[in-house]
Amino acid sequence: MAESIQRDFLDPVVLGRLMGLPLNSRHPMLGSVSGRHRSPVKGSALEFAQYRKYVPGDDTRRLDWRTWGRTDRYYIKEFEADTNLRLCFIVDTSGSMGYETGGINRLNYARSIAGTLAYLTVHQGDAAGLYAGAKSEDGSTFQEELPPKRGALHLGVMLDLIARLKSGGETALVESIHAAAEKIPQRAMIVIVSDLLFDLDPLQEAFDHLRFRKHDIALFHLLDREEIDFTFDRPTRFLDLEGGPSLLADPSLIQQKYREAVKDYLGKVDRIVNHSVVDYHRTFLDEPYDQVLARFLMGRNPKTARSAR
Amino acid sequence: MSFLQPILLLGLPLALLPIIIHLINQHRHRTVEWAAMMFLLDAKKLTKGIARLRQILILSLRVLAVILLIFAAGRPLAGGWLAMTGGKADTVLILLDRSASMEQQNLETGESKRSTALRKLADLLSKTANNSEIVLIDSATLTPTTITDPEGLLELPETSVTATASKIPALLQIAVDYLATDESGRTDIWLASDLRQSDWDPGSGQWQALRAELAANEASRLLLLSYPATDTANGNLSISVSKVGRRRAPEGMQLVLDFTIRRQSNSDEPTNVPLEFTVNEMRTVQEIALSGKETVRLGHVIPLGRNNGKGWGRIDLPADDNPADNTAFLVFADPPVRKTVVVSDDQFAVEAITAAARAALETDIQYEADTVGTDQLSRIPWEDTALLFWQAPIPAPDSPESALLSQHLATGRTLVFLPPAGASDHPFKGFSWEDWTGGGNDPLPVEWWRTETSLLANTQSGESLPVDDLNFFRVREFSGDVQPLLRTGENTPVIAKLISETPGSAYAWGTLPRTDHSSLATDGIVFFVMLHRALEEGANAVAPAQFRETGSGAIPDIPYSILAQSGGDASLTAPGLLPTAISLDAEGESRRLMALNRPVSEDDLKTLRPEAIASLLEGVNYRQVSDELNSGSSLASEVWRAFLVIMSLALLAEAILSLPARTEAEQPVVGLR
Repeated sequence: MAESIQRDFLDPVVLGRLMGLPLNSRHPMLGSVSGRHRSPVKGSALEFAQYRKYVPGDDTRRLDWRTWGRTDRYYIKEFEADTNLRLCFIVDTSGSMGYETGGINRLNYARSIAGTLAYLTVHQGDAAGLYAGAKSEDGSTFQEELPPKRGALHLGVMLDLIARLKSGGETALVESIHAAAEKIPQRAMIVIVSDLLFDLDPLQEAFDHLRFRKHDIALFHLLDREEIDFTFDRPTRFLDLEGGPSLLADPSLIQQKYREAVKDYLGKVDRIVNHSVVDYHRTFLDEPYDQVLARFLMGRNPKTARSAR
Repeated sequence: MSFLQPILLLGLPLALLPIIIHLINQHRHRTVEWAAMMFLLDAKKLTKGIARLRQILILSLRVLAVILLIFAAGRPLAGGWLAMTGGKADTVLILLDRSASMEQQNLETGESKRSTALRKLADLLSKTANNSEIVLIDSATLTPTTITDPEGLLELPETSVTATASKIPALLQIAVDYLATDESGRTDIWLASDLRQSDWDPGSGQWQALRAELAANEASRLLLLSYPATDTANGNLSISVSKVGRRRAPEGMQLVLDFTIRRQSNSDEPTNVPLEFTVNEMRTVQEIALSGKETVRLGHVIPLGRNNGKGWGRIDLPADDNPADNTAFLVFADPPVRKTVVVSDDQFAVEAITAAARAALETDIQYEADTVGTDQLSRIPWEDTALLFWQAPIPAPDSPESALLSQHLATGRTLVFLPPAGASDHPFKGFSWEDWTGGGNDPLPVEWWRTETSLLANTQSGESLPVDDLNFFRVREFSGDVQPLLRTGENTPVIAKLISETPGSAYAWGTLPRTDHSSLATDGIVFFVMLHRALEEGANAVAPAQFRETGSGAIPDIPYSILAQSGGDASLTAPGLLPTAISLDAEGESRRLMALNRPVSEDDLKTLRPEAIASLLEGVNYRQVSDELNSGSSLASEVWRAFLVIMSLALLAEAILSLPARTEAEQPVVGLR
């Protein structure tokens, strides 16, 4: 198959600029190899962690003989273990992600975020994977799935997969989250990219599922300002991107109620992300994605977090 | 609602413009692909009710504003009266009560009820009745006149001042007849009247037929422009002379007058009124004391001097609210011979009648009575006869006798039909004899008699005649257009007055003054009074000095000259409608004098209540429009200003509704996180 895959969602300039910012996890991670992220298990890294009493079965090589010499007791000297990070993207590919405004496509924006972050992740030696999905017309859930792995080869596969994502059908984000929660075996960092334009009630449960699995959740909520402010000035026919019936409306009549509905919705989103301790980023499509990512990355760096917020 | 520029109403479809613009706007929508449908659906669900209502309201207000603007441009006319008149009529009939009582004036403006009504009608019609046929029928002439220029209504001779009485039923009858013969289409009948009971004559038998005819004519509508009686501060006095006599006194001849002054005023306080007497151009002013509502002065003496056998005079009241009733004319001359002629072959009846007719009621008057057999009709002295008893078959309508009887009545003399013994087949002006009834020993009891007017009226002191004592044994029934004066049981009229327009009166007595027919001759008082009252009526016609009531046809069709007139413009008002003293100059006759005065009934202040009108006009499509003499309101006034004001209010309301809801633009809906 000689299909050429465009990776125009990646910008080398942006990549080069963001390369200097490490991607940190907010929680200890369980990786398969040594890396730069904290691990919940103790290991042999350079950073001293604690002393503890020797119990039979411990590796005698880790006994601290100097302490035995001073106190005549056996102590084990423990050090922090550093491990690698598994970063999983869950990308919403429902029809509403195909929304386009001012030449910016929401799904493209999502591609840029996921692709750039995946690139950065792999380049700092961590693993990256992708889960994407939407409901197809017959109601079945269509799912793209790429388990997290390390390595440049994997990155190429993943970027190709990102490039091939297409918007269409009703949203299946909640199902995708539950599927990912079941399939990702150990603590990982989950980055969700979605417009969240669906019934929010099941979302809380999905986030709780991820939290139960001790994943670190980050959410990029992609919105257009027009969708929030609704500044149309004359009668408009609105075609549903997810295939629902179209609607003819006079914006002057419904603007107020629309804004009230948006306000309620955003309040609900805030409540859900606060409850589930989600690293939430409300992102407007007119904002350059490199700024969004820079803010995201700096927010996760303990040294720069304050200035990023 | 009427419009001065109705053509502009063709622009009414422009009122649809806001709706069309709205629809175009709706149609001109653009299409966008939209992701956040959930908010749209929520918002739409929430705004379904109130916002839609608001939009409909705004649209309605815009449409209303355009309609009002077009209406205002059409220069609408409205007013308390016009609002009720509905649309435009093809024919407008103006029925004008020209009676003396309609001359009551507002002294400040000099406008009478009649002229106010005319002015307002002229104003209304000149504004609204552009293509309508306008027909005026006035109560004095009862003749329909087509009006071409409504604004000239006040200048017409047919609307000028008169001192007559009105017959509203007759007026309406003319209108109904006019509508029946003329295809008038939708008709508005404006009847301007002050609702005087004497003019409306609620007891008239004509009302029943009128009601039916008016109610049957569905295309017509009666608009009653009424001027109810109002007590004014100045009050009104009216004078009428009831009797003029002469007597010889040591210092010369004296005129003896009976006159009545009636007062329409808020106060009954005794007061003095300067009365101006003018007799044979000698003027005297005398203060007369008034008390109460009515003052009757009997036997007022005015010296005439040495050789005043004949002459005329007038009594004038000072100016007051109604100038039409301030003058009473009087004429006097040697009293005529009261000549009675009995045409009969019935010896007993003739005896009784001639005996009563010869009995002198007043000493200085000569009474005569002649008998003529039914076969000697050519011997009747028509010229001298004041009262004619006709106990013979009614002559055939085309016979010379019938023509002579008509002439007798036309000259103001009195005719009494007595029942002939035999057959009488012909009618006289609708009147004809029927069968005899009674004949037994039991008298027919008197059931009812008319006490207020005519032959059996109560005396001046108010006492009734002893009609109750009468017995009737044989009565001949009659039929025709009559006003019953006396009825026995079973509703049979015995004595009646024939209804006709002639100056002279015709009566029908259904019985004879014979003992086997009635007790008229034996209980002679009633008979005597009836005979002499009839004689007096007829005597006036043969008198060299006559009194008549104003009205069309009051002056006989012979040459005459006017001695004096009062109360109006003689050049405008037709002769005979104003109080006048005239001299009749018929060839071959000695000069006769005639005084025309307004009918006494005009001084009767009683007016009809709305309930009485409602019952008179029951079933008729009518509206009463009460106006007042002092009211400056117009029948139709332009109301475009009101339309513009309402339009402005509608636009203001539209603007308020269209104001965008208070946006929270200052605070963004969402903040960045």
